[in-house]
Amino acid sequence: MDAHPYAFLALFAAIAVAFPVILLSVAQLWFRFFQPAKPSADKGAAYECGVTPTGDSWIQFKAHYYLYAILFLIFDVELLFLLPFAVAFTGLSAGALATMLVFIFLLAEGLVWAWHRGHLEWK
Amino acid sequence: MNLDYAGLFHALRPETSLVVGALIILGLDLSIFRRHTPVERLNLALWIGALAVLAAAAHVWFAPEGPVFGGVLILDKLAMATRLGVLGLTLLTFGVASAAPAPRNPAEQVAIILFATTGFLLMAAAQQLLLAFLALELASLSLYVLAGFDKTRPESAEAALKYFLFGGMAAAFLLFGFSLIYGLTGSIELPQIAGQLFHVTLSPLLVVALVMVLVAFGFKAAAAPFHLWAPDVYEGAPTSSAALIASASKLAGFTLFARLFWREFGAVAGSVSSAHGEPGWLPAVAVIAAVSMLIGNFGALAQSNVRRLLAYSAIAHAGNLLLGVIAAGDAGPAPFYYYAATYGLATVGAFGVIAVAERAGPCQKITDLAGLHRRSPLLAGCLAVFVLSLAGIPPLAGFFGKFTVFSAALQMGGLAGPAGWLAMLAIALSALALYYYLVILKQALVAKPAPDAAPIAVPAIAKLALVLAAGLIVLFGVNPSLLLGLF
Repeated sequence: MDAHPYAFLALFAAIAVAFPVILLSVAQLWFRFFQPAKPSADKGAAYECGVTPTGDSWIQFKAHYYLYAILFLIFDVELLFLLPFAVAFTGLSAGALATMLVFIFLLAEGLVWAWHRGHLEWK
Repeated sequence: MNLDYAGLFHALRPETSLVVGALIILGLDLSIFRRHTPVERLNLALWIGALAVLAAAAHVWFAPEGPVFGGVLILDKLAMATRLGVLGLTLLTFGVASAAPAPRNPAEQVAIILFATTGFLLMAAAQQLLLAFLALELASLSLYVLAGFDKTRPESAEAALKYFLFGGMAAAFLLFGFSLIYGLTGSIELPQIAGQLFHVTLSPLLVVALVMVLVAFGFKAAAAPFHLWAPDVYEGAPTSSAALIASASKLAGFTLFARLFWREFGAVAGSVSSAHGEPGWLPAVAVIAAVSMLIGNFGALAQSNVRRLLAYSAIAHAGNLLLGVIAAGDAGPAPFYYYAATYGLATVGAFGVIAVAERAGPCQKITDLAGLHRRSPLLAGCLAVFVLSLAGIPPLAGFFGKFTVFSAALQMGGLAGPAGWLAMLAIALSALALYYYLVILKQALVAKPAPDAAPIAVPAIAKLALVLAAGLIVLFGVNPSLLLGLF
């Protein structure tokens, strides 16, 4: 009998469900039978990176850096299109050059706008 | 494939005018007008924006018809009519924005409105799945920003977040639906997809794809059960943004999806003109239309906030417009285009009246409009025209819009099928709708003003925009062939 072409998806789904369930139940069984309960303040604390956390985790933090992430996109996208443009430069028409200049102008205007509005200064 | 870039640029001159206008606004605001007051900067930006829109309209008017760039765009009569309608509604939105208080970044607001309009123009002409999605996203992303533009009010941020989350979800559904369609047919061009679908039956995969695209359509149209964002966004967004979301965005969205469904899925439309019908997307759209009409009209009855009332009225109108999309198979796009364009005019006008009334105090509750006829007779008169047009009272344009959509639906098969029953339901609910529209007018025209209410001064540009919108509603209502003649 031929298997359905998408049968492997069902297999993957079954493994994806079974894997965490088995691991978690083994851990639960281990805890039930072998591990003595020794609660402490450090053990109950929120896990950050292994070091004992200092202060509360419910703090306000500065989300200002998202602007830098967006500005980074300007350069990133520019690079993505400039590299093939530079490679193929000798074989391109004048129209392609004009198109590319318009593209760079649009990205540059975004950068100039952010600069003038003071988004590059860390406040 | 031979790509004609010059032809593409030629066809995209309206969009280019808008983007260049937006860049000029941003550039001038950064350089020469940095030190001016926000009101001056807003006025300058609005004038340049209006010039860009007029230039775009001239380009649309003189554009030759036909497919562009190998059929990525189609410039037909529906595209031209929708583009002109969108540009006109944007111009009126500028009038609304001039009446509202200047935001912290006035030039950016006008520039983003222009970017959104660019998206609407592309939506009106898109004939390829990829471009349709990109145009929709350009418009939607701009609208999310505009909904949250008033940074001083938390309600505005709430509106933007709700709109963004719902919209992002709808975009994901749309993209998934598009990818399934591509997988089924191997093409992203609407004519090729239509040719492929002509040979296939209604397979489960196709049904899933249709439902996914319908979800996105329902979101864009604010049709129930995808309408939950509408009341909060209309209430919280700045008035000019709400006006744009309610008018031009609707018109462009209906054109895009009507084109998508009839051009692409025409072979699997099914039928709703006889009692048994045939399976397809038409019965699903008919169900959404019926639910929208019921939820919109009954929801509006309970509102005490005038913006939320307009939102529920928008949901009800979306139901009528979906009926127009259903009828577009037999009657062509003219009825639903006429309905959407005149509905947009009336909504922009109503939001314009709210924006002007807000200059003299808050205007959220219906009772805030009390005694408007004493405080500003012009505003009250314009509001009466807009609201009566929304209610569908002759000789205003709203009446003829309903007439042409309902008669087109009734001609599909009389009362023998769901299309006719939907039309009867819509007519009955229109009578119900008159109640909540008259509640607004009762406050504006009959109730006494609050003792501390001051007269409202209407700025000249806002006066021009409101009178223009009201005049157009009367003109299109008396002479509908002005709009229908575009087809």
